[in-house]
Amino acid sequence: MTVGIASVEIATGVIAGRIAAGARAIRWLDDRDPRGAAVLGAIYGATGRAHIVGITGPPGAGKSTLSDMLVAELRRRNRRIGVIAIDPSSPFTGGAILGDRVRMARHTLDPHVFIRSIGTRGAAGGLSRSTHDAALVFDAMGYDIVLIETVGVGQDEIDVVNLAHTTIIVGVPGLGDEVQAVKAGLMEAGEIFVLNKADRDGYEAAHRQFGLMLHLRANARPDDSWAPPLLRAVASRDEGADVIADALEAHLAHLKAGDGFARRSGRRACAQMVNLVHARAAAALLRLPEATRLLDAVSACEIDPYSAAERLLAGSRNDSEGAA
Amino acid sequence: MDTPVERPLRILLAKLGMDTHTVGVTIIAHALREAGMEVIFTGLKQTPEMVAAAAVQEDVDVVGISTLSAGHMRNLPKLARLLREAGAGDKLLLAGGVIPQEDKALLTEAGVHKIFTMGADTREIVAYLRGWWTERQAADAA
Ligand code: B12
Ligand SMILES: Nc1nc2c(ncn2[C@@H]2O[C@H](COP(=O)(O)OP(=O)(O)O)[C@@H](O)[C@H]2O)c(=O)[nH]1
Ligand SMILES: [Mg+2]
Repeated sequence: MTVGIASVEIATGVIAGRIAAGARAIRWLDDRDPRGAAVLGAIYGATGRAHIVGITGPPGAGKSTLSDMLVAELRRRNRRIGVIAIDPSSPFTGGAILGDRVRMARHTLDPHVFIRSIGTRGAAGGLSRSTHDAALVFDAMGYDIVLIETVGVGQDEIDVVNLAHTTIIVGVPGLGDEVQAVKAGLMEAGEIFVLNKADRDGYEAAHRQFGLMLHLRANARPDDSWAPPLLRAVASRDEGADVIADALEAHLAHLKAGDGFARRSGRRACAQMVNLVHARAAAALLRLPEATRLLDAVSACEIDPYSAAERLLAGSRNDSEGAA
Repeated sequence: MDTPVERPLRILLAKLGMDTHTVGVTIIAHALREAGMEVIFTGLKQTPEMVAAAAVQEDVDVVGISTLSAGHMRNLPKLARLLREAGAGDKLLLAGGVIPQEDKALLTEAGVHKIFTMGADTREIVAYLRGWWTERQAADAA
């Protein structure tokens, strides 16, 4: 009851673009407070306009610094920007030190920039559990662009491509063999490639390697209508933001010229529903008394986990048929 | 509810002005992380205005300022006022560092809820925050 009133008030604030309301909505969603889901339901109709942009790459590649300069450039172009900066939570304590704001301090007092730090809280894949929801809140608040900085990722932690309309992959020279590591997952994803730290030794070699990789990717996908650009940046000196912003605009135009924008938004919503069903269905099943019994048996090695899982699922199927 | 509510305490840690003493704030950040809290670090050279704005955007429960270079009598009362003006007066405001005994009463009156100075045991700080957080959540639930 108070849940309802509070949620309506926050939802109204979100749609009016009020920062405190957006901040509270994201907190509820991150905490899995039931009021969060109520807010999402109420604001959903106001979403769908924002250009959702992911920035991903290895730890220390300069993602935060790059986000900072990109925000500055996009502000020059009069865009309003929400930033979601994700850092890892400790798998042991659940605690986190979220430090991405340090590199974006110059935007703190800009009323058209909203920066939110989020811990992964157990999620794998480079995002947090609540990233999708936070992006929706920013979208409903009227931000033109939602920039998502993932945690530093390895090869296959690229969930952000399912969430973003455009993903920027950040590489750096001097990693040598690590480029090999990057190629496997990261080079297959992404629409814009940025080679940051171009002031470092090894830039030319890294540029050649990335170029080759993109060439191979293009050959493997003759139907791709978007050719990912490979751009140069020195984020610590604010160099390269203009071409990256141009590329973002070009990719957005490309998506909107076809049905790409709507298709990606739809794909994202479907992925979110699938996630929710996975989480809720699993939680519901594991709450059954039968689950506790089976877990005890598995833990005592009296039954193998495959058979136990099968039995739990079979039991719930019988239940729902019985109820029908 | 289907999924349990999980509410780790969120705290913003900042240093104001030209104060570059970083050892204390770093120790506190790590101690709180080990205690399962989410620490948002804004870095050095912050103004009270920046801290207040960041505290609202991050929707933290606690704002912690580490101050060792004598700016506290100017900065902390201003920060407390800005937080109230931003509708964030319910956040707990903590300070630590080099704060002379004779300044403490004035700071408390100005809205700093608790002060930890040199030699403060991090376990004591963690225990204080946990106690406060338990009470706050109980009050919110009521
Ligand atoms: C190390 C040190 C330095 C180092 C700092 C290195 C670094 N990267 O941090 C260097 C040499 C660079 C330095 C420089 C200066 N320093 Co100096 N420095 C110190 C010293 C000796 C120790 C500070 C320290 O690291 N303590 C260890 C940590 C763990 O303790 P702490 O910070 O107090 O933190 C504890 C508690 O206070 C609390 N806490 C701290 N922050 C927070 C925050 C929260 C939220 C909470 C809950 C708790 C909490 O928990 C911590 C754990 O117990 C102090 C002396 C002293 N007695 O403090 C002087 C001191 C702080 N420095 C001083 C001065 C004047 C300077 C300088 C201006 C010039 C000078 N005389 O050297 C410069 C300028 C620096 C600047 N621009 O700010 C004075 C400040 C005087 C004042 N405030 O009135 C002091 C007090 C020395 C003195 N007695 O004169 N300094
Ligand atoms: N030399 C150089 N250093 C950079 C550049 N961009 C970022 N850095 C530095 O690289 C380090 C990591 O940057 P950060 O943005 O935190 O990386 P993230 O972990 O990917 O977010 C910082 O010390 C930055 O100052 C660059 O273009 N050139
Ligand atoms: Mg970062």
